[in-house]
Amino acid sequence: MTRPADVLDDSTLPPPEWAPRRGSGVPWVFGGLLVVLVAGRLWVAPRLDAAALDAWTTVFVAICVQALPFLVFGVALSAAITAFVPARVWTRVLPARPAAAVPVAGALGAVLPGCECASVPVAGGLMARGVTPAAALTFLLAAPAINPVVLVATAIAFPGSPSMVAARFGASLLVAVLAGWTWALFGRGLRVPPRPEAHGGAARWDAFRQAMRHDLMHAGGFLVVGGIAAATINVVVPAGWVAGVAGVPVVSVLTLAVLAVLMSICSEADAFVAASLTQFSPTAKLAFLVVGPMVDLKLIALQAGFFGRRFALRFVPLTFVLAVTVSLVVGEVFL
Amino acid sequence: MKRAAQDLLMILLGGTALWLVFSGEYTDYVKPGLRIPLVAAAVVLVLLGAAGLLRDSGEGHHHAPRVAWLLCLPVLAVFVIAPPALGAFTAGRAVARPAPPPAGDAGALDAGAGPVTLTLGEFIWRAYEAQTGQPSNIANVPVRLVGFVRPAKDGWYLTRLKMNCCAGDAIPFQVRVRGLPRPRAGSWVEVVGVWAPRKDGQADAQDIGGREVQPVKKPENPYE
Repeated sequence: MTRPADVLDDSTLPPPEWAPRRGSGVPWVFGGLLVVLVAGRLWVAPRLDAAALDAWTTVFVAICVQALPFLVFGVALSAAITAFVPARVWTRVLPARPAAAVPVAGALGAVLPGCECASVPVAGGLMARGVTPAAALTFLLAAPAINPVVLVATAIAFPGSPSMVAARFGASLLVAVLAGWTWALFGRGLRVPPRPEAHGGAARWDAFRQAMRHDLMHAGGFLVVGGIAAATINVVVPAGWVAGVAGVPVVSVLTLAVLAVLMSICSEADAFVAASLTQFSPTAKLAFLVVGPMVDLKLIALQAGFFGRRFALRFVPLTFVLAVTVSLVVGEVFL
Repeated sequence: MKRAAQDLLMILLGGTALWLVFSGEYTDYVKPGLRIPLVAAAVVLVLLGAAGLLRDSGEGHHHAPRVAWLLCLPVLAVFVIAPPALGAFTAGRAVARPAPPPAGDAGALDAGAGPVTLTLGEFIWRAYEAQTGQPSNIANVPVRLVGFVRPAKDGWYLTRLKMNCCAGDAIPFQVRVRGLPRPRAGSWVEVVGVWAPRKDGQADAQDIGGREVQPVKKPENPYE
């Protein structure tokens, strides 16, 4: 049996402008949303009086509002780099030998801001342009964890404890470099992504704008997921239970490390969530801050998509184990 | 998610942030110092969204993942639930905490011109100092404290939450009020009284011997 599409060629079809106009439903969706907002504020909000729901919502909105400026400015800087720095600059900066390129790539991560969603495509682009995969992976791990925006956010979230900023920087850089070296020695199963298309004749500002929107949309949704998880833990989990786990030395560190993976918070905002977990020890919070930007659900999805599932199966456990171990050591020694 | 939806969503987010700042509601969630960064980020979002709507043509594949729709949730929460600042529920869940770190200057209190207005944090800190034998002239000085009322099994507490960064990390400062009838739970009151050392010597909880209590308006910034 042949489908009609195979029989008919274009000449037998009516011209496209005869087709019923399929307008975009988007304005209607947002119009409806505005009606819901106004109606909700007028009739629903005054009647809601559930203390737990209120507290949950306040914490949820607070985390989103607090993170918003950092997310916007982090994404703006990252988009500026994508749009205004040509990729060949990277190959000029990095040494050719993998063993030497890895620490340089780690240090580059400290200078260049980029949230984790942005760093995965950037790392893919670097590999496609001939950078050693180990060095590109080190950059992928380091850039979201130790860039200036993240460090400033960490300093603001932990006022009066600069040692937390230093520990986060040191531990994250160490994990990134160790993971890069390990990958250079034993790494297998990586699929180098095809070279992404260049932005044709699009003006740089348009490229900047679109990179920013792309990053905001990708990172913003996951930030909301993180806010939901954090608010739920804050309100639902009995304080005694959290305090119980928080008191056990190694278990508390593992708990927050796993939590960092599950919550998938953007690295520009995770320090604020970590600071809100007041019952936990500094070492546990450090593990949260070191693991979060390197291993989380959205990163695992992105990495598997870019570099293949076999890669993710090897790279994710390697990073997680390294991050927890290094956090434990650094936390015990310095915090 | 279509491109136009992303642009509208950014305008919506920026607009919501501007609403929070200019209605003053943002102090329910974050510290007042975040006002300027918040307005700047909101303006950037609105401009980005508007530029996208005006400049981008229909072609091109710039689809965003479905997870981006979740960005509507905080907006819905702000307008439909409109939660108040954290209150008695959060304060009641907190486990016992050590005394707050030194805040403000440790200068002598001047009780010459009537009761001295203190934050709950400073009252607790001064009382803690006095209790642990360090010099602090909180004893016998009439003070004025502002907070909300939280009923408990052992009486009622004058409470205020302290934000470190945002409401997600708020911890309660609480002082038990003795000798006064409990006002309506959750209402904001001003209590004038004198520090009353606890007989059990508990240094992490402080009492005030109340002399008078009167209702006040909820402060513009409900947190300390």
